[in-house]
Amino acid sequence: MKGLLKGLAGAAAMAAVGFTGAAKADDTIKFALLQDFTAVYTFVTDEYNQGQRDYLRLINEEGGINGHTFEALIRDTGNEPQRGIEAYNRARREGAVLVDFLSTPVSRAAVNRVLEDEIVMITVLHGRGDASDGQTFPFVFPMMATYWSQAALLADYIDNHGGGLEGKRIAHVYIDSPFGREPVPVLRELAERKGFELRTFAYPSPGNEQSATWSDVRRFRPDYVILWGAGGGQPVSVREAIRNGIPQENILSVVWMAETDARTVGTDLATGVKRFEAVATGTDYPIMQRIMEKVIEPGHGAGPRENVGTTYYNIGVASMAVAVEGARIALEEFGTPLTGDKLRRGMEMIEDFDAEGMMPPVTLSEEDHQGGGYGRVSRWDGSAWEPVTDWFNAHQDIVWEEIEKDAAGFREGR
Amino acid sequence: MFYRQSGVHHTRYQTARRLWPLPTDQRIVWLLLALAVAAPFYMSDLYLTSYMLPWLIWSAAALSLTLLMGIAGQLHFGFAAVMAIGAYTSIHLTRAGVPFELALIGAGLMSAVIGCIFGAAALRVKGLYLVMATLAMQYLVDWTIINVPAISGGAQATLSTPSVSLLFVPLRGDTALYYGALLWAVIVTLLVLNIKRTSFGRALVAVRDKDFAAAVIGVNPFKYKLLAFFTSSFLGGVSGAVLAFCYYQAVTPEQFGFNVSIQLVAMVLVGGLGSVIGAFLGAGFVLLVPIILTNVVAYAAVAGWLTVSSNLLAHIPLMVYGGLIIGFILFEPLGLAKIYDNIRKYFLVWPFRHTQS
Repeated sequence: MKGLLKGLAGAAAMAAVGFTGAAKADDTIKFALLQDFTAVYTFVTDEYNQGQRDYLRLINEEGGINGHTFEALIRDTGNEPQRGIEAYNRARREGAVLVDFLSTPVSRAAVNRVLEDEIVMITVLHGRGDASDGQTFPFVFPMMATYWSQAALLADYIDNHGGGLEGKRIAHVYIDSPFGREPVPVLRELAERKGFELRTFAYPSPGNEQSATWSDVRRFRPDYVILWGAGGGQPVSVREAIRNGIPQENILSVVWMAETDARTVGTDLATGVKRFEAVATGTDYPIMQRIMEKVIEPGHGAGPRENVGTTYYNIGVASMAVAVEGARIALEEFGTPLTGDKLRRGMEMIEDFDAEGMMPPVTLSEEDHQGGGYGRVSRWDGSAWEPVTDWFNAHQDIVWEEIEKDAAGFREGR
Repeated sequence: MFYRQSGVHHTRYQTARRLWPLPTDQRIVWLLLALAVAAPFYMSDLYLTSYMLPWLIWSAAALSLTLLMGIAGQLHFGFAAVMAIGAYTSIHLTRAGVPFELALIGAGLMSAVIGCIFGAAALRVKGLYLVMATLAMQYLVDWTIINVPAISGGAQATLSTPSVSLLFVPLRGDTALYYGALLWAVIVTLLVLNIKRTSFGRALVAVRDKDFAAAVIGVNPFKYKLLAFFTSSFLGGVSGAVLAFCYYQAVTPEQFGFNVSIQLVAMVLVGGLGSVIGAFLGAGFVLLVPIILTNVVAYAAVAGWLTVSSNLLAHIPLMVYGGLIIGFILFEPLGLAKIYDNIRKYFLVWPFRHTQS
């Protein structure tokens, strides 16, 4: 029976070789989007992946980069590290130069492998924050604000637009996981510097039921609440916060808060809730217009049309925009064929790239793979997320302290 | 014809009690072992590192659990936590400078002790209530790992495995890692096979079938239930350590979550309770079938045979997988091992189907 299974695996292998052999063309650049379509990250993956594929399609429709077109290799990993590793090894054999797992557990399991195999891994808004240290993690690119930068930015927003941090009581309400816990050191440090009172409240995963936590929060009587969750727990958090007497205007959230969450809470009830925003929402940007015109209108879209322009769709577009820009620079500077190492060096040369106004200017370098930690705060106005600030970053000194500390830990094998 | 039994006369107890009394079975086992040992030479690195390697390690873990669930009859829904304890213990021990071989034993002992503490619930409760007690273990261990930075490794909650050597061979590179995993799988397989034919194994089976009946015939259920938890948790802990060092190379709490426990139970049940070959087949089914299905469906979509939305595309493998599980359970409730057994029994007397087997 062992032999039978082996035979099965072998048959699948031969089938695989047959299929890819036919489809292979030398000058296509392969990006592997091996994401979680079926388990934990489903709240973001569909829209995010759709945005990524539509953007790659747009580049292909416009003739590619110097004739090089892009191909997306897509697999479901179910958020399981072993499936992610299998998909990664397969994509590597098929010649992928970039992987995007959009799953913290899978990305963490893959870090050592991509560093060894010299394949670029983008960890947009997930994964290890300390991978911003490009010298320790040369092939890992967080590319947008890490959770530490997001926490610092939200605190800074309260400082500048919410009547100052001094003497305020701030509740950090988070899902009980490493992700929820991640911003705590940065907030602690800020509490010490700015003189506000910080208390943290954890609710159990997956966050469908948080009432016990919120009665604690209520007793603390916070001035501001910072929500740190994702997916189904987020609207529950907002509802519980409102029920416990916290005004909508004083609720701030990590980046994982989208149109669907506001609709789940109730479009009117959610009015005033604020969130961190990494990429602009909507279709009023040149890239989005071109996607509408060249991809969506002719019917080449990768998914439902109503998703185009949503928060997560646009994050997907922006992630690929930065990656394609890196590939363009790499091809110009180092020539064909594009390898993982060339792509890495190309991406490290990106300067002030803002995807034609869709995102804050990103500058990556050999040291800094975060790109500055920019973002802005936006507010739900009853029908859409409207920005209330310009793009800015905050307290990068504290953020980089954390990055360096954890990166040093990684170098020591932690 | 294939399994010639004529001429096989057992004149001594040793031959009658061999693990595989029939020459054909022995040949099959040797052939499979040879195939497994030679795998690095004929398998590409993709299939070696992404299929064979995790399959062997998960089979060892499923074997550890089948010793407890199948042979001793004690349900355990928190076995991933047992493996987590082993993985984290082994990493912390090797980082403290303990040789890897000793760290593996330490990992097993730590898992065994903690597993026994929760297994002690089995002395009072049975069946579904024991499931609750072991679930509590799963969540308590998860909570402890996440909330104690000294265990989980700080803010990133990731611990990379240090480079180690096993029996003077550095565990580096696909081949070395594969042989490390193979060695452990062979050890666990032989151990469980042998436990089944010792007085210890028979005592466990007696406790499984009826614990007070076992007490009547002189088997101490108290002792044997705890021993079952101890042995099984020891093996599970070492399997967790092998999984961390030979496969993941970095451990995070999510790798040992509740869903992994359920997968392990599924491996044991789909494979066949208490069967050694069932653990291998079950692990292969639960671990590899979703991967193979995902790839088949993805290639079908790329080739243009399946034109559906990407969301549905991602869920087709899940539907097929669910259907397969129901199908197999309906077709043969005793698991994949029973299907193998049926085939073997058929060939045992083939081509004379009316002979007694």
